[in-house]
Amino acid sequence: MAVRFPSLQFFEALQQRTVEARDRFEKLGYCDTTFGVRVGEELYRVAFEVYECTGVWEGGDPAELDFVLVGPAPVWSEMVEAIGRNGGADADHTLNTLSHIGDVIDVEFADPERYDRFFRYMTSIQEFFDQAQYLDVDLARESA
Amino acid sequence: MSYVSPRDRSQDPTIVQKMVDVMLGDLDLSWMSSIRERVAFRPSDSRRGFTLDDINGGSYGPDTLPEIVRNNFSMAPRGAILVPGLPSLGYRVNRKSDVWADSAPALFEEGKSRRWAPAVDVPWSALDGRDPQDRRELAVRQLATDLVAIGLVASDVPAYWVWRMNQEFHEIKYLLCLQMFDGARLAEAFRKRALYGSGSLGVDCKPLAELLKMVFDCDTYPEASLSQNLVLFPWVQAIGRHFEYLADNAADTILGMRLAQDATRFIAYGTAHLRQLTATRPAEADVLNDHLDLLENGLVGALGAREVIEPLVVLSGGLEPVAGLYVRTTDLYLARLERAGLGDRRERSPLPDFLAMLSD
Repeated sequence: MAVRFPSLQFFEALQQRTVEARDRFEKLGYCDTTFGVRVGEELYRVAFEVYECTGVWEGGDPAELDFVLVGPAPVWSEMVEAIGRNGGADADHTLNTLSHIGDVIDVEFADPERYDRFFRYMTSIQEFFDQAQYLDVDLARESA
Repeated sequence: MSYVSPRDRSQDPTIVQKMVDVMLGDLDLSWMSSIRERVAFRPSDSRRGFTLDDINGGSYGPDTLPEIVRNNFSMAPRGAILVPGLPSLGYRVNRKSDVWADSAPALFEEGKSRRWAPAVDVPWSALDGRDPQDRRELAVRQLATDLVAIGLVASDVPAYWVWRMNQEFHEIKYLLCLQMFDGARLAEAFRKRALYGSGSLGVDCKPLAELLKMVFDCDTYPEASLSQNLVLFPWVQAIGRHFEYLADNAADTILGMRLAQDATRFIAYGTAHLRQLTATRPAEADVLNDHLDLLENGLVGALGAREVIEPLVVLSGGLEPVAGLYVRTTDLYLARLERAGLGDRRERSPLPDFLAMLSD
């Protein structure tokens, strides 16, 4: 069944993928962070412990998060589409590339030490999103 | 051999007699009854395995460590019963706040769990078919050459300090060993990147070499930690991010991302270490700021050196993106220093003037 993007169900499906693809995440190592993904106006919280995503929620207080990845819905949709098309993010659509120069995706944070967790665990967080390649995603582009 | 035992044990009749007694079945076993503390340590989270933090309880943990270790200069592990006459290993770093970060044991475990092997985890064949004389490829190889030099020094710096550090701080020593390996892997990975196919190393960069010598040649461990973890590695992290951003193939994407990841562990330890140090001994902030005055001079030299900035300009398609990279990295660098208890250096550092010059 198709999951709509953006939606809580999409992130729940990715959470389940961290269990099903446990070997992938174990190889990448410990990942301990709770971060946010803001798609347009909608905020999703994602918690990682050890090797897997332990929870996803809609809404909440961004100040409690290590960092928040913020981007307009069309940018996120393009990234998810590229992941599906290429079997993972291509060089133009990695989280690092999108958040590095040009602020296509902005990274909001209050504490540089907690922000650094984005980089410490970037390969795991990228793999989390790359697991969207195994989902049937309905890209709700009209929300852009 | 330079160290000689004060007793000639092979000729000591009391020792020979004791060995004979043991061989005849007369076991003393006094060491069995003298165990000081019996505790039951177990993994607190089975998913994570049995970690250093799981065994850091009671007298075995770091909480009971005094600020200055005066009772053990030998190789005896923390928590073991010390007998009189143990040889001193001559440790020079014996003050807890000079080295300690509460997060160090977890960072050590994390570093091992996030290990990777350049030999097999980088899809090197993605580099096949590249023109070795292409300007872009030459620029990547120059940048890789700079990174190899940084990796080599990132191994040397912890190696210089680890054997001077008291064994009571074993978690920090483990972490320094991890940093040595991380530095070696950095050098390995980017040496392979430079030489893959019909590759070559570039030109060694003298201003970068001078900065690296400043990092290597520190008088105290806090200065060394500040220099390597909070001055040098934020720029390594930034170059890793930029390398990934500029990548046009899967090999460079992975190299950049892993470089940024590994560099951030250095930063995480440095921030926590210096924050705990300045909280315990606030006056140290002045000493460290004086050190930064000299070091940032070297940093400006390295960032402006042709062998560093020019490959970045060639790869980025102009100076503007590089200036943007430098500005953002400086902002984050200064924010981390503040987080580490070193105050706002914006008025004191030569970096803002350097950046203004770049933007003009």
